[in-house]
Amino acid sequence: MFSIYKKEVQSFFYTPFAYILTALFMFLFTFVIDGALGDLNKPDFQFTFPEVFYRIILYFIFLTPILTMRTFADERKNGTEVLLMTSPVNVVQIIIGKYLANLTVFLFMIAASTFYPIFTAAHGEVVMGQLLCAYVGFFFWGAMYIALGQLVSAFVENSIIAAVIGELIMFIVLFIDDFSMTDFIAQYPTLQGFLYAFAAQPRFAYFSQGFIRLSDIVFFLSAVLVALAWNYIVIEKRRWKRG
Amino acid sequence: MITIENLTKYYGKNRAVNNISFTINDNEILGFLGPNGAGKSTTMNMIAGFLPMSAGKVTICGSDVSKEPVKAKKNLGYLPEIPPVYPDMRVREYLSFCAGLKRIPMAKKSSEISRVMKLLKIEDVQHKLIKNLSKGYKQRVGFAQALLGDPKFLILDEPTVGLDPNQVAEVRELIKDLKKDHSIIFSSHILSEVSAVCDRVVIINKGDIKAVDTIENLERSSGSDIVLHVKIKGSKTKAANIIELTQGVKEITKIDAEGNDFFSFTALINGGEDETKTSIMTQLLNSGIQISEIYTDKPDLESVFVNIINSRSSKSGMEELLDEISAEAAEKKEED
Repeated sequence: MFSIYKKEVQSFFYTPFAYILTALFMFLFTFVIDGALGDLNKPDFQFTFPEVFYRIILYFIFLTPILTMRTFADERKNGTEVLLMTSPVNVVQIIIGKYLANLTVFLFMIAASTFYPIFTAAHGEVVMGQLLCAYVGFFFWGAMYIALGQLVSAFVENSIIAAVIGELIMFIVLFIDDFSMTDFIAQYPTLQGFLYAFAAQPRFAYFSQGFIRLSDIVFFLSAVLVALAWNYIVIEKRRWKRG
Repeated sequence: MITIENLTKYYGKNRAVNNISFTINDNEILGFLGPNGAGKSTTMNMIAGFLPMSAGKVTICGSDVSKEPVKAKKNLGYLPEIPPVYPDMRVREYLSFCAGLKRIPMAKKSSEISRVMKLLKIEDVQHKLIKNLSKGYKQRVGFAQALLGDPKFLILDEPTVGLDPNQVAEVRELIKDLKKDHSIIFSSHILSEVSAVCDRVVIINKGDIKAVDTIENLERSSGSDIVLHVKIKGSKTKAANIIELTQGVKEITKIDAEGNDFFSFTALINGGEDETKTSIMTQLLNSGIQISEIYTDKPDLESVFVNIINSRSSKSGMEELLDEISAEAAEKKEED
């Protein structure tokens, strides 16, 4: 497992990939902060970093699939899936190794983004407790998205298609709570309750307000587990029906 | 020892491999032959544990591939048809990754990588990106990967494809060398390679085993027809009569005009080889026909292969049969 993790991390950091992705993330961050600063003169608006994070998860939809699109799609395209499958490692180790590598790049991106709060703290005031909670929430959010993106990558052979489908799914995950709140869905309370159970955004909102609730952590962790387990099933299933 | 029992593979309703069984003994090179689409790669993928089998059992050094995959795969080195290399990695980096996958202890890793690089003569490209290597080098990097950790059992799917003649000879020598402490299953389209390297061959067609035997036995059992070639200068009809009527000659299969009164005859003989040759030579010379060459061909692996695969007999010309096989393969490809 470690060798797969190492190889994946190397493939991100020995190439410009991780750096370009991080630069893009920083750009989005700047973009969002700039937008928030522009709103400063609006009444009732208070600039906080959790607010920034809350806005940035929308743009994050476009970033995560780029990180995860190659995870399994490229292995198949290169024909290296055979190498992994015929080595004395099992599929679970392959999936976890790759997941941890993706997570590492994500942590690198998060680490780079601390530039903004640090800079702000030097010139103004940052509520550290709230900021920390927002970071924890953001980490779980990303962990869930990466698991989803990795799952999509296992379905297809073309990494671009993996990215596009991944974006679509992440979009649905982001807006499912808004969707369940529409008048149309509100006519069917059972359906509404069912859809709302999948809503990740309100759970993220708790984090950005400074709450770390066990139920939210469980929600994100189970989303990751389900996605990774499904990932395992997809890979095994394809081996059985290949032809 | 590796045993393959009743291995079967269905792709949907299509049966790609049908109930095949054979064993690979220790220190043996087993050749795996068959036309395109015969099920060679499918079988090898199943033995390597990449494709699950629809039925049957593969045991590598005592471990069942489907029940104890990790244990079985520790004794396995696999070079698939397309070398499984990462284009964005450097050769040494790639081999180091593979060594990790194969759980080679840290302390031995570097020496093991150097060992396989030396065997495959790829030390000079060890710091190059794999995507910049030629096909032959990629093939050898893939081969080096299979040898990492010195597994007891090697599966080589067309290991010499893409190599230049010099490298082909080197790799063949290497495979023969590896026999000392490995069992090897080795597939190839090149029949001369199989006869040069392998101890036994398995011939499959359309998923069925057609033959499992040593090359000598296959040659012996393939019928006693020997091919006779005679090139003469003189009357074509006269020579044809003499050759046709000589005892031991079965039939003339081909007459080519070579210009300047030279003619080449190809005939099948089923009598004593030397007697027939001498008799023909004497008669031809007596009738004033000049002989510029005369020689016989033993049935080689190629004709054995053709006969076994295409059981419609060896009466028509060899080349015709070969054409038929490739036509069939093309047909099959179209069907797929």
